[in-house]
Amino acid sequence: MTLSPTDNPSEIGVVSQDSAATTDAVDDPDGTSRRAAAASRNRRESDRRKVSSRRRKALDGVEDRGALSEADWRRPSIRWGMATTHVLLLVILVVAGLGPMLLLAKYAVTPTQDILRTPMAIFPNGIAWDNLDKAWNDVQVSRYFLNTIWLAVGSWASQILVATTGGYALSVLRPRYGKVVQALVLSTMFVPAIVLLVPLYLTILDPPLLGRSLINSFWAVWLPAGASAFNVLLVQRFFDSLPREVFEAARMDGAGPYRLFWSVVLPMSKPIIGVVSVFAVIAAWKDFLWPLLVLKDPAIQPLSVRLPSIEASTDLGVFLAALAISTLIPVGLFLVFQRMFLQGAGLGGAVKG
Amino acid sequence: MTATTAPPRRGPASHARADRDGRHRSPVTWFRGGGLSNLVFLLPLILIFGVFSWFPIVRAVIMSFQETNLVSDPTFVGLDNFRQVLNDPLLWKAVQNTLYFAFLALLFGYPIPLVAAVLMREVRRARGLYSALAYLPVVVPPVVAVLLWKFFYNGSPTGVFNTILGWVGLGPYPWLQDASTAMPSLVLAATWAGAGGTIIIYLAALTSVPPELYDASEVDGAGLWRKIWHVTLPALRGVLFITLILQVIGTAQVFLEPYLFTGGGPNNATLTVLLLIYRYAFQNSLGGDYGAATALSIMLAAVLAVFSILYFRLTRSWSTS
Amino acid sequence: MKSTRQAIALTLAGALAISTLAACSSGGSGSDDESSGSDGDGKVTLKVVSLLPGSEQEAIDAFNAQVEEFEAANPDIDIVPEEYEWKATTFAPQLAGGTLPDVFEIPFTDAKTLVENGQLADLDEQFRTLPYADKFNPAIIEAGTGADGHVYAIPAKNVYGVGLHYNRALFESAGLDPDQPPTTWDEVREDAKKIADANPGVAGYMQMSQNNTGGWQLTVNTFARGGRTQEVAEDGTATSTLTNDGTKDALEWLKAMRWEDNSLGSNFLLDWGTMNQAFAAGQVAMYTSGSDVFTSLVQTNAVDQSTYGLAALPLEGDDAGVLTGGTLAAMPANVDESKKEAAIKWIDFFYLAKLVDEKRAVADAETLVANDQPVGTPVLPMFSEEQYLQNQEWIADFINVPLDQMTSYTDTMFDLPLVGEPSQKTQEIYALLDPVVQAVLTDENADVDALLEQANTEAQALLDQG
Repeated sequence: MTLSPTDNPSEIGVVSQDSAATTDAVDDPDGTSRRAAAASRNRRESDRRKVSSRRRKALDGVEDRGALSEADWRRPSIRWGMATTHVLLLVILVVAGLGPMLLLAKYAVTPTQDILRTPMAIFPNGIAWDNLDKAWNDVQVSRYFLNTIWLAVGSWASQILVATTGGYALSVLRPRYGKVVQALVLSTMFVPAIVLLVPLYLTILDPPLLGRSLINSFWAVWLPAGASAFNVLLVQRFFDSLPREVFEAARMDGAGPYRLFWSVVLPMSKPIIGVVSVFAVIAAWKDFLWPLLVLKDPAIQPLSVRLPSIEASTDLGVFLAALAISTLIPVGLFLVFQRMFLQGAGLGGAVKG
Repeated sequence: MTATTAPPRRGPASHARADRDGRHRSPVTWFRGGGLSNLVFLLPLILIFGVFSWFPIVRAVIMSFQETNLVSDPTFVGLDNFRQVLNDPLLWKAVQNTLYFAFLALLFGYPIPLVAAVLMREVRRARGLYSALAYLPVVVPPVVAVLLWKFFYNGSPTGVFNTILGWVGLGPYPWLQDASTAMPSLVLAATWAGAGGTIIIYLAALTSVPPELYDASEVDGAGLWRKIWHVTLPALRGVLFITLILQVIGTAQVFLEPYLFTGGGPNNATLTVLLLIYRYAFQNSLGGDYGAATALSIMLAAVLAVFSILYFRLTRSWSTS
Repeated sequence: MKSTRQAIALTLAGALAISTLAACSSGGSGSDDESSGSDGDGKVTLKVVSLLPGSEQEAIDAFNAQVEEFEAANPDIDIVPEEYEWKATTFAPQLAGGTLPDVFEIPFTDAKTLVENGQLADLDEQFRTLPYADKFNPAIIEAGTGADGHVYAIPAKNVYGVGLHYNRALFESAGLDPDQPPTTWDEVREDAKKIADANPGVAGYMQMSQNNTGGWQLTVNTFARGGRTQEVAEDGTATSTLTNDGTKDALEWLKAMRWEDNSLGSNFLLDWGTMNQAFAAGQVAMYTSGSDVFTSLVQTNAVDQSTYGLAALPLEGDDAGVLTGGTLAAMPANVDESKKEAAIKWIDFFYLAKLVDEKRAVADAETLVANDQPVGTPVLPMFSEEQYLQNQEWIADFINVPLDQMTSYTDTMFDLPLVGEPSQKTQEIYALLDPVVQAVLTDENADVDALLEQANTEAQALLDQG
């Protein structure tokens, strides 16, 4: 469970945008056999390539246009006005976006007393490389980072499992009681996560059937993460939009519900699984309050829980070095997968904290 | 980003299948009709939602009418918890603070990304660089961002921000250490951490504005400002509204910033509703008041449900129009 | 969209690869079974309190050495050390959640209620087996005794009297004699101003204000000025007396230092841990806290020992007293007998025997000294003054704390009028007082009388709940 504003109803905004992106891709109802499905897939691929190349150009801003036309751009006043504005904007973005991180990088290797007395002086008393060493070895940032990843991966798996199987049952198999289940799932979207805080905590303390507390176990985070109505809705809508004929054709070929799920539906669901995955990882990454409550054992805490708890007992220089390392890894990932991050943010960007 | 969801497609085949299910069913036909596999596929959903969502929600409602502290057996106390919470002077303080936070978050966090996105849309070279820079703070883990800003906010003249502002003769400011500046400081940090995401959403929405609209308005002789006013902003209307509601829902549940920056201080100036719920439930060393905590969270939920429904209505009407 | 999908796939592949590594290295740490007390081979596993989170490596080494020694002597007990810091704000869910160590530490003030609630194990039988069970100072053993006369929580680690901790280097920087620490609150104020003036950005004096420590320290300051914050009548009914002159004086004094002298620095939201950190970093010149905090300053904050000084708390007014409190070792109610047996051995070994047994005292001191850990930090005697002095003799050769920088405290520590913490709703009323202290520190127009009046009403309401 994610007890942060990013959970529950706040994420719904993505639905419409995303299904817009996916429905046009599968708008091909005329295939009646698997061959037709394959053909339509090819066609979709090419459509998608076109879309994505358009998007790429859009991102680089070469061929598309904004409010200013070519004619506007030829006018010196606009040209220079905009150029100045853009330089100014760039400076602001550098200062605001990059500045704090550059400062953090500097403090990570600055002796504590210099940080406290002359924070903006440039290494008046040399560089303290051992801050980094201590942060890595004594504070063990690496370990807590791995815990963070481990939490994210488990939450992801749990969400994918529930969303795909549930979405499949509700959208494709459609049992008679499906409507009831669906209504119950939907209704949880109107309940903010905070309502769950205490009762869910008590449930984790004494879960039904298990007979032992899940506190201090990754399962305490993984399992509740699966209960995301948003994911189920998203996947279900996607399955709704898949061409029924493909399913029928598969049934004709003798595929049972399990084969249908595994060999037909899942392979067609890669885009939506990708979207759900991004949300799952981002949410797990940001989660704080819930792991704080249920992961008391330092050995399994994620960075978000561990860093505040050692704030008071760690030398400031070392602590900032630990913060720097904790930042470096996601920032590095971001720089490598920049385009995907930004497209994902634009697509599902309504997930914001 | 005018969303256009095609209505769910239900092929004729699936109707046929639904008919085949028939009305009268024995266990055998239930099994043959795929009843078991239906259940198998729904099982993860039902189990996970049942245990970790439906059951806790019901339990929350029950607990809000009970006195529970895990020590003695729960007893029903009627509306006592609600009465107790509503009579707590801290509640009104927390509501005020939360509204103040929401107000400031809109003040800082609403126009800035919009202006930035509209300007960035006109960037012709290296727009990716702009986007990356704007988005960079978003990838910093939120807890790290808060702890870093907490250090920047050091209120002494040798604090980072105070040193920088000192160069231009400003400050030193107390930042988190004063009841009047603590909340704006929290919001500033939260805006820094969140604005990039909003900018990217707006940018994506702007990219989808059809160029023909601009062409058309140019034919009518519209200047830059009129184009922005008559084409750009209306095109963003939907996404602006969505982010507004999302922001309201999000800020009503703000916890991380007040918890880590100030613990609700100084003098409860940054105590938010969520922090108060947390305090009720978890901050007394001799056992939490779970009844009061759930009662308050249910009241908060009722308020937020209004926004959620509004939100649903809006997104639905836009996606069908 | 293709590039997106590829990127997602790549990221996921990467994440999976990393997670596999994580799975290997974290070795199932998430799934240790806590319910069973003993392993298959009859070994009892006992989770015990180790150190504060983020302690220095030397302190951890010293602790591990002691664990090894204990396990060698008790091969049937497996000790699992766990980091622990008692915090009013996190304790309850940990106790309820069963995430505390088997032997955990609680402050004197909480024990009675926890016993009443049935949340602590009855350790009476095990406690009586200790050879020195009847030698405890009765007032101290009383703190962990239930209404049935059984001992549930055993006095452990330390009994502290609050002292005034100061930074000798900062005293010198302001032209003050570090061997002449202030003895009245007016002198504290004067010295604080001199230090703050001479060292921009440094707090001449500071007081805790967060996570219930604001109320705790305000109570310290109240006692030191002859005030009391609550009165308990014969019949057990309690009256809140927060509007007493001692509390008012303490707040007005603080307010004057903040707004007239500006000698309290610029960080007003400090709790026990962050205050220690600020002091160790030379950001705070004077503060009041338990006399034993030096150990923690060394273990977690690597304080420069040569600059450390400890003075007696200034006492003014009739009936002024030094607030005293302490730590008890206790176990959750549901532990089984085998764990209790193991626990009492550990409590004996780690907390108590070193105070009454020469051999243990020396062995303990040797281990600590070998790892550069403080030996000889002044605390109040848990048994008797004679016992304490005897103990100091045993370990005289090992004492490595700068006792000569603490003489202002140690010279009078046995003569101090000690006053226990308020007994009713202690932590809740402390929590109530945090905002009062914060208001005085952050709001120039704070009305001390009105704030106290309000707090008093709320405190009385808490007391009336019974």
